[in-house]
Amino acid sequence: MVGEQLALTALMGVFLVAVAGFLARMEDWRSYTPLAGGSAIGDAGYGGHAEKPAGIVRWFTTVDHKDIGILYGIYALIAFFWGGAAVLLMRAELAAPGFDIMQAQFYNSLLTSHGITMLFLFGTPIIAAFSNYFIPLLIGADDMAFPRINAIAFWLLPPGAILIWAGFFTAPLGLGIDPAQTSWTMYTPLSAEQANPGVDLMLLGLHLTGVSATMGAINFIATIFTERGDEVNWANLDIFSWTILTQSALILFAFPLLGSALIMLLLDRNFSTAFFAVEGGSPILWQHLFWFFGHPEVYILVLPPMGLVSWILPKFSGRKLFGFKFVVYSTLAIGVLSFGVWAHHMFSTGIDPRIRASFMAVSLAIAIPSAVKTFNWITTMWNGNLRLTAPMLFCIGFISNFVIGGITGVFLAAIPVDLVLHDTYYVVGHFHYIVMGMIAFAGMGALYYWFPIVTGRMYQRRLAKMHFWLSMIGTNITFFAMLVLGYLGMPRRYATYQFDGAIAPLAQVTTLHQIATVGAFIIGFAQLIWAWNMVQSWYEGPELDDADPWNLKDDGMFGREFQWFETQKLAADGGESEEVRADGGEVETDGGEATGRVSSDPRSDGGYRKAVRRVDDE
Amino acid sequence: MASDSEGKTFDRETLLDLVVNAIPLGIILFFILAFALINPFGSNPVNTAIQFSIMAVTGAALLVLTYVSGKAISEAEDELEEKGLELSEEAGAGEVAEPESEPTPETTDGDDEPAA
Ligand code: HEM
Ligand SMILES: [Cu+2]
Repeated sequence: MVGEQLALTALMGVFLVAVAGFLARMEDWRSYTPLAGGSAIGDAGYGGHAEKPAGIVRWFTTVDHKDIGILYGIYALIAFFWGGAAVLLMRAELAAPGFDIMQAQFYNSLLTSHGITMLFLFGTPIIAAFSNYFIPLLIGADDMAFPRINAIAFWLLPPGAILIWAGFFTAPLGLGIDPAQTSWTMYTPLSAEQANPGVDLMLLGLHLTGVSATMGAINFIATIFTERGDEVNWANLDIFSWTILTQSALILFAFPLLGSALIMLLLDRNFSTAFFAVEGGSPILWQHLFWFFGHPEVYILVLPPMGLVSWILPKFSGRKLFGFKFVVYSTLAIGVLSFGVWAHHMFSTGIDPRIRASFMAVSLAIAIPSAVKTFNWITTMWNGNLRLTAPMLFCIGFISNFVIGGITGVFLAAIPVDLVLHDTYYVVGHFHYIVMGMIAFAGMGALYYWFPIVTGRMYQRRLAKMHFWLSMIGTNITFFAMLVLGYLGMPRRYATYQFDGAIAPLAQVTTLHQIATVGAFIIGFAQLIWAWNMVQSWYEGPELDDADPWNLKDDGMFGREFQWFETQKLAADGGESEEVRADGGEVETDGGEATGRVSSDPRSDGGYRKAVRRVDDE
Repeated sequence: MASDSEGKTFDRETLLDLVVNAIPLGIILFFILAFALINPFGSNPVNTAIQFSIMAVTGAALLVLTYVSGKAISEAEDELEEKGLELSEEAGAGEVAEPESEPTPETTDGDDEPAA
């Protein structure tokens, strides 16, 4: 049996090496040629990246921020599918009260992997994908301040993921290394006492991703402070860069602390220290350290998506962001305040009631800057020329989901409410409205918005809208059901719910769980549509014929990244195409408008926008 | 930007923009006062000190950052004005941009925002 499995492993190894060799030899691996910096176009040389090796080697050696952005994106999306698969299995298990398709241990492993994967391997990297690709373009920099550190930071992530997921690969080998079952919060004493070495591997992997995030943060701070173009200063820095700057500062203060706490936990596990032992430093110490990192982490994850929405939403509203500076200052306020609220995750641990009250006070205060942003987004849309393109739909969905996610957070921040709802599905509903409803939504919106720049092509609009609506409906079905489950008293982190009817009404709980499961599969299905759309459009989507696929020039909203794209495109096309010149050059105002518009019509979202716009033009 | 803003970093406009951060600060001050007046759990040197320092330190940090960033942004605005450049987010990198919109819709918009 063991021999058989060893042979199988060896065979897999040989196979993987063969695949790697094959891929490395494929010379025109790069059928994808980014408009700038690709070695194919000599004159599009950008910074120091004019020459890049061909084949897959290029992706392993690149220090170009755009390539690294793409790598981050692909990495994040792989993680998204891993985390998604884990949760669909869990939701399937929860469709009925008993143990039906798995045992508790496996459920716990999936739960842990889902949480850690989505937060650390999807959330942070998908944001880094956008920031790496676009921050230098938005601030007029040649590249990141430290391009090599940028590359190192990315390449720490794949080993991190392998370590974090390691238990799933080694469990079938019978080596006694199983997936960790600590949940993402890794509370002691549980996490200190589980003998499974899979936990150690996961902690080491997390440590790597933390180092990676910290390196990235330093790089972004240095870039935004020192690499800005001549015409960009604090007064006209774009909102996305502001949120990335704030996020980087939060990472700088939060992640090293997580790293230290992880090391202490590893010492407790392997070298008999007692930092978090009941008779030593106490498990509450772990919770303080973890949440001092953990709460800023949630804002690390949500601030840049807020920046993305603040950047994209005005483009399809035909108006500048309302109260731009309010959004900037409230971003900074959230950054500072997020370090003063961590113990709202510990209200029910029996910490001193006076201290607990203070954390409640600051948690209520942090809701204000969050709400300010919401009103700014709504006011930006008010009386605007809304164009319901896929990126815009995702932005609007984002705001709608934030209303529910944010308000449930404020309830939880009130001590008496939290004592009732803590550790129920209400909390799960709250933070999923935010992590799925906001972070994933903004990520999808930005992917659609910038897809033309990255690929030079357009995606399929119908599929994108189906993706949005299914995601929006699925998200609200799933997580609203969870809020109700929480009110009914369903505790979180259980594989079963065969409890006594005196605790909670079992029939309703079962129905709500089934609703949540259906919703989750709707979300999953939507992402399949999306994946197909991305891959298919990347290879076969209609090529852009000018650099303004969103008709942003009409509104004076042609952002810096699209301005950059235009210069690249003009350089690459060498002015051979009539149409490009028409749009890029002078003709663009009224005269050439008529023909320009007709030809660009199929590009505008399903022709829908024209109708809306004409009314306003008159 | 208002033309009378020259030489003055914290002019009316800037102060109005900063109001947004005064609100959370006000909430924190409210709780500091409330907890000082209403004290059902009694006092204890260590815990009471921690209790108030969580609010005071966070509030002070917010105040400092708001001041520093307000100063930096306001000075940067004056600088842009001197150079005759645009204040808008879209301006900057490319020559292709046409600055057809009025310079600072943001600030004027922002001022209408109700403070509550
Ligand atoms: C409006 C501001 C917010 C407030 C006042 C707030 C408040 C809270 C509170 C009090 C809890 C603890 C509930 C409990 O365990 O009993 C909680 C949990 C959580 N919140 Fe929020 N929240 C806010 C926004 C956010 C944001 C923006 C995110 C994510 C980006 C987020 C993510 C989370 C997560 C992940 C948890 C659960 C942690 C866990 O126990 O696994 N929250 N929130
Ligand atoms: Cu929190």
